[in-house]
Amino acid sequence: MASTRTILWTATLLSAFIFLGMTADSLRKMGTRTHAAELSTQVVEGKRLWQHYDCNDCHTILGIGGYYAPDVTKSYAIRGDAWLRVFLREPAKMYPTGRQMPNFHLADAQIDSLVAYLKWVSEVDTNGWPPAPERAARTESAGATVFLAQHCNTCHSIQGSGGTLAPDLTHEGSRQTRDWIRAQINDPHSHKPDSVMPSFKQLPEEEKAELIDYLTGLK
Amino acid sequence: MRYKSQKVAREYFVAALLLFLLQVVFGVLGSVKYVWGYDPLLNLLPFNVVRAIHINLLVFWLLLALMGATYYMVADEIHTEIYSLRMARAQLGILLVSGVAAIVGYLFQWSFGMPFLEQPTVIKLAIVVAALLFLANIAITMFTNHHTLTRTTATLLGGMVMLSVMFLFGIPFMSNLSTQYYFWWWVIHLWVEGAWELIAASLVGWALMKVTGVSRQRIEGWVFAEVCLVLLTGIIGTGHHYYWIGTPRYWLWWGAIFSAAEPIPIMMMLVDAARHTLKARTLPVVNTLGLAWLGAGAFVHFMGAGVWGFGQTLPQINRWTHGTQITASHGHFAFWGAYGMLAIALMYIILPEISGHPTEQGSKLGFVSFVALNFSMIFMVMALLVAGIVQVYLQRVMGMDFLEVQNHLRIWFEVRLVTGLIFLAGTVLVLWDLFRLTRTLPPSRPAPEEAREAVLVG
Repeated sequence: MASTRTILWTATLLSAFIFLGMTADSLRKMGTRTHAAELSTQVVEGKRLWQHYDCNDCHTILGIGGYYAPDVTKSYAIRGDAWLRVFLREPAKMYPTGRQMPNFHLADAQIDSLVAYLKWVSEVDTNGWPPAPERAARTESAGATVFLAQHCNTCHSIQGSGGTLAPDLTHEGSRQTRDWIRAQINDPHSHKPDSVMPSFKQLPEEEKAELIDYLTGLK
Repeated sequence: MRYKSQKVAREYFVAALLLFLLQVVFGVLGSVKYVWGYDPLLNLLPFNVVRAIHINLLVFWLLLALMGATYYMVADEIHTEIYSLRMARAQLGILLVSGVAAIVGYLFQWSFGMPFLEQPTVIKLAIVVAALLFLANIAITMFTNHHTLTRTTATLLGGMVMLSVMFLFGIPFMSNLSTQYYFWWWVIHLWVEGAWELIAASLVGWALMKVTGVSRQRIEGWVFAEVCLVLLTGIIGTGHHYYWIGTPRYWLWWGAIFSAAEPIPIMMMLVDAARHTLKARTLPVVNTLGLAWLGAGAFVHFMGAGVWGFGQTLPQINRWTHGTQITASHGHFAFWGAYGMLAIALMYIILPEISGHPTEQGSKLGFVSFVALNFSMIFMVMALLVAGIVQVYLQRVMGMDFLEVQNHLRIWFEVRLVTGLIFLAGTVLVLWDLFRLTRTLPPSRPAPEEAREAVLVG
């Protein structure tokens, strides 16, 4: 019994020492893996705001937190700078129906900090998490990827998949011209003054062209 | 009950039970929000506040219950009064004031913003003061009569020290999120898979000795082996939380191997509890309901923490399941089985002794609540598990948008809401039954010596 006890104690203490050693090594390596050199005052301020508004109890980040709202680890990479800015200023613009995020009435500088923070987080080396969805790799075109990434399907549907708040786009290509679609993307109010659709003027021209190609191809 | 100061356990239990009820109410509110599309309380009581309150109350009520049970057990084991009843009450007061301040603060966006550790720093410091009072009180009590210090009690003290030390790593703000989460797990994981397990193992060991009459030697041998295995697997097992947070890749191996072994000590606890519980049937007076909570708790602990945890601990699986409703299913099942059920078992074992119910075997109401709580919890975790599997497929494999997927999960969230309401009803019943046991009764028949003492002291 005494020897069993010694073995168990030794093994337990040894595991604690190994753990501490691995911790020292991890902390050293995490500097590079997380691009700690890029932790600017603005990024740290963004983290402070993230914690101040307790965002983590709705959203997960690095997969940890509340499961009520999307994981934000890669949201900068997926949504892009411009989308995040519009969303943070007025969440209901991007998600007009259903589950919503409260409007925190953030100041411009606060939005800058949060976006800088989300950009920093999106560059952390997470060992390949979250896995890239298989369907994203199989989307029919680059424009379809933009359509999904910009969450157009929150309001619009195509072939029965998507939201119902805005017109169905299944046959958009036979109803509208390229120019009309471009104008709608840049300034929805140009066609309908009371439109609730946000402007996507800030999208890079290349993505805009891909999106227009995709939509005009829907006959 | 032999010592007057043991009565303080009852005050801790009453506070814990009220917080438990509040926790469940907020849990139901949170599950309503999953079913609602647009949340009418969005700007008044948004989901993050509800969740923060729900999970903080979870920790608070469990800690209060385990601390109350510790005061009772230490006096019982060491054969002495608690060193200072006043300190024990001051500690309870500080914890309650801190808890209430934290909860009210969340309503006004006063938050540290890390899950489970949302308490602002000043409140965390108050909690540290309460923990120091507790440790001092328990340690002085133990060492005043140190020749009676048992291995079970020493394990309990070890667990309480570890619990307090680990909490310190959750206090500072760190600029790097990955580092912050690295140490956040030292609180969360090393609490539930380390300190709390030590506390649970020793309290279960003590409770088994008390209600089953199994010899100390047998029980303590098991407790020692369990505790060593918990630490051996649990400490490096923290690594299964270090797969995806910016930590080096070698954690995928270390975390997988050690966390895969974590169910072993939990299984030992189950075998241990089952063997001894079954033996107790031959005793003249059997606290059937207390034993039922203890035995069933060991089983649900094994299922929720052991099986559900093992099911997603390997990185090949965890890569897909991490951060989905599957984790929520595991969290509910494991906390309930490992600690919630233990806390209730300890109340059913200790309260009759304090209040002079020496022949307590469990009321009909108590058994109804036992069934309602456990069955509703099992259906709840099943609903969350199915929701999680569907979520992984649609979101992670098919690449559907998070909110679109949530709409597809609504039916499972509705099932969860129904089970939550049944759980709430069960909570009301168990409170009703346990409050019956908090009322001191004069002995209606010749009572054993201990019960008579209790009445005289009371």
